[in-house]
Amino acid sequence: MSTGEEGPSLISEDEIKSEITRVMKALYERGLVSALGGNVSARVPGANEFWITPSGVFKGAVNVDDLVKVDLDGNVVEGVLRPSTETPFHAAIYKVRPDVNAVIHAHNPVTLGLALAGVNLKPISVEAIMTLRKVEVVPFAFPGTDQLAKLVSEAALKGARAIILMNHGVVGMGANLLEAEAVVETLEEVAMAQFVAMALGKEPPVIPEKDVELYMKLYFQG
Amino acid sequence: MSEWYGYVGKILEVDLSSGRTKIRELKEDEADMFIGGIGLAAKIMFDEVDPRVEPFSPDNVLVFMTGPLTGTMVQCSGRYVVAAKSPLTMAWGEAHASGFWGVELKKAGFDGIIIKGKSSNPVYLYIHDGEVEIRDASKYWGLTTVETDLGLKSDLGDKAVRVAAIGPAGERLVRYAIIASDITPDGPRVAGRTGMGAVMGSKNLKAIVVKGNGQIRIKEPEKLRSNINRLLPYILSYPTTQLYSIYGTAGEVEEFHEYGDMPIKNFTVGKWDGILNISGRAFREKGIVKAHRACWACPIHCWKYVEVNNVKGRGPEYETIASLGSMLMIDDPYYIAEANDLCNKYGIDTISTGGTIAWAIESFEKGLLTKEDTGGLELKWGDKETVLKLIELIGKREGFGKLLGEGCRVASRSVGRGTEKYCMHVKGTEMPMHDPRAFKGMGLQYATSNRGADHLQGLTFRIEQGERITDLKIYERYDRVSYIGKGRVVATMETWHEVLESLVICKFISIPPLHLAGMYTLVTGRKKTLQDLLTAGRRIFTLKRMFNVINGISRKDDTLPERFLKEPLSEGGARGQVVELEPMLNEYYNYMGWDENGIPTRETLKELGILPIVERFMNNK
Repeated sequence: MSTGEEGPSLISEDEIKSEITRVMKALYERGLVSALGGNVSARVPGANEFWITPSGVFKGAVNVDDLVKVDLDGNVVEGVLRPSTETPFHAAIYKVRPDVNAVIHAHNPVTLGLALAGVNLKPISVEAIMTLRKVEVVPFAFPGTDQLAKLVSEAALKGARAIILMNHGVVGMGANLLEAEAVVETLEEVAMAQFVAMALGKEPPVIPEKDVELYMKLYFQG
Repeated sequence: MSEWYGYVGKILEVDLSSGRTKIRELKEDEADMFIGGIGLAAKIMFDEVDPRVEPFSPDNVLVFMTGPLTGTMVQCSGRYVVAAKSPLTMAWGEAHASGFWGVELKKAGFDGIIIKGKSSNPVYLYIHDGEVEIRDASKYWGLTTVETDLGLKSDLGDKAVRVAAIGPAGERLVRYAIIASDITPDGPRVAGRTGMGAVMGSKNLKAIVVKGNGQIRIKEPEKLRSNINRLLPYILSYPTTQLYSIYGTAGEVEEFHEYGDMPIKNFTVGKWDGILNISGRAFREKGIVKAHRACWACPIHCWKYVEVNNVKGRGPEYETIASLGSMLMIDDPYYIAEANDLCNKYGIDTISTGGTIAWAIESFEKGLLTKEDTGGLELKWGDKETVLKLIELIGKREGFGKLLGEGCRVASRSVGRGTEKYCMHVKGTEMPMHDPRAFKGMGLQYATSNRGADHLQGLTFRIEQGERITDLKIYERYDRVSYIGKGRVVATMETWHEVLESLVICKFISIPPLHLAGMYTLVTGRKKTLQDLLTAGRRIFTLKRMFNVINGISRKDDTLPERFLKEPLSEGGARGQVVELEPMLNEYYNYMGWDENGIPTRETLKELGILPIVERFMNNK
């Protein structure tokens, strides 16, 4: 895991920008964002500026020229489009989490549906344990506001990689874009599996607690 | 010499006293600090005149300016601004108009025109492809705006020229005379407020005709085109845009009435069934509105074309429906279309016309004005024939119209007898048609706007209706009848609107501020962040404030008529409310960096880089 203090980066800004557009397109094609919804950002590890998708343009075809570079106060440094409306919470996460270099906000329909029904995600698969770990839920705050940014950064400070924004969507974060992408996709995958089981009238069995503990030991303390 | 994109880079100077013209190169630092439009106009005013100049003196200067976005492919960029010392406020004056005239001026080779001096005989300017001619206008003197437009086009043998003209009211120095442009066939668009048409008339300048084939250069046209096209659906989804597309600004009649915002009977009544007959819906359903028209590059087309009786032209806006309708208790849409048309032809501002007539009727009703004052006319509410007669008298400046043509501040002061109480104005400018008891922030905006009561310098009621502008850090919903937090909101919105009037772009297009900053960069090739633009906006607003300060304006003038401070309405959406102005003013001054007396501090002037511009007038005050 990156700590943000590992010296010169192995990834260039151009690579990051290209990767952001790939992820944005993939999220759209998977139905995790709508035509104008969702946003993706990433930074060179440790940087005090990050690249983010713009607001108001079709998310299935964002290109690298559309991306906007902003500082951790949300000020535009480079680019001509308006940075995502959710720039404040992306910036807030980078401020409190030096290990995070990529943040994705999507509108995962099944994840959100379960959350709205008051159903918590459970450790039903290895990915649910390993990729998601603890999922934080934050109450509704109006999109784009400082209030939402504050709630999200408080949840991020608890060490979460996945956050559910009630009545809104999800946030996934990681050391790089692939990790953040995996978090967002796993949320939906786990939610869908759990939802199928519940729709068939079954309470899904979970991975036994001692096995969860073993996984944790193997992967995070080894 | 600088290479300009967006800007033409040239400003025309015309001295009507000497008949000489010259071309001034736009300076890099001017564009950088003041953007364009009203920003550059404010800078030029300080360059050219002592702010204490008499409005009708040849020493006053009339500035027409476009902005770097004018005439580009950016949506709703067809506007221009006009500035001068105002005969209505006796301080800062400005007005804005949309359409195509400003675009044509740039195509003709100029970002703006500075008009100095006074011609000895009526003249018009003919500006075409970088050339300028001062031509005799004697044959047009006395004609209406429509007659002037048609006459000039016919005499020049060119229907494609764009004309900005004054009517008889401007010639006769009615203090709220307008400048009309894009007059025929479907117009006019008007630079309406604060008597810019009277300043033009005082210079014996009847019209400015422009024609050009020049190109407005764009630094990154492909990128700009791509961004604009992709953002269009997002921009058009804004609810007000959709409403205006169908009904124009008249579409807001019912909603504003619900809020208790639409003034009725000179702001004394809170509720009135008559509004149903004069709503945007009514104008459509009665077949008065015949077609939609759009200004340059506009996807909204809020401009409605009407045909009724003898009227063929632009239909009344919300402001006019209120000022000549509900303010005077007249609910006849046919009459409103006719009265609007009459004002446009004579060349008078419909807001000030309605406000001044309402003052006269209320004063008459109270017995403070009599038939002796009115030349035998009996004034009463709901009397459309008399109002049409009054409009004509004002337009021609005859009989009782001589007094009404002074605007209600001067008129009420000259009559005395306590009639001042019934004149609804701020700094001499008659109140626009939004009751500040329904939107408290609007009260602060009226009190602090540089051209007097001004609904457009901020459109704060949009925020008070629940709109959030996160780019401007307006995140919360503000209670419309609370004063809490309104100082910051108004300061922010006034500053932002100064940016819009400098770029110059229509206030009705909802391009988010951060996108607009990017568009400025793509058009001009000059990189500016939103924060840079907002700093420029505050600089421009403060410079205009200093124009007023030098004219003796301070906190005592940042006020509202007593009616709004002390007299609550007994019914309607603003029932029981008065405006708590003082706490809002304190917060506002603090936010703007002004002292408790409303004077920008020396530190603020220094920080904004305008101390050297204003200092010479402050020292010999």
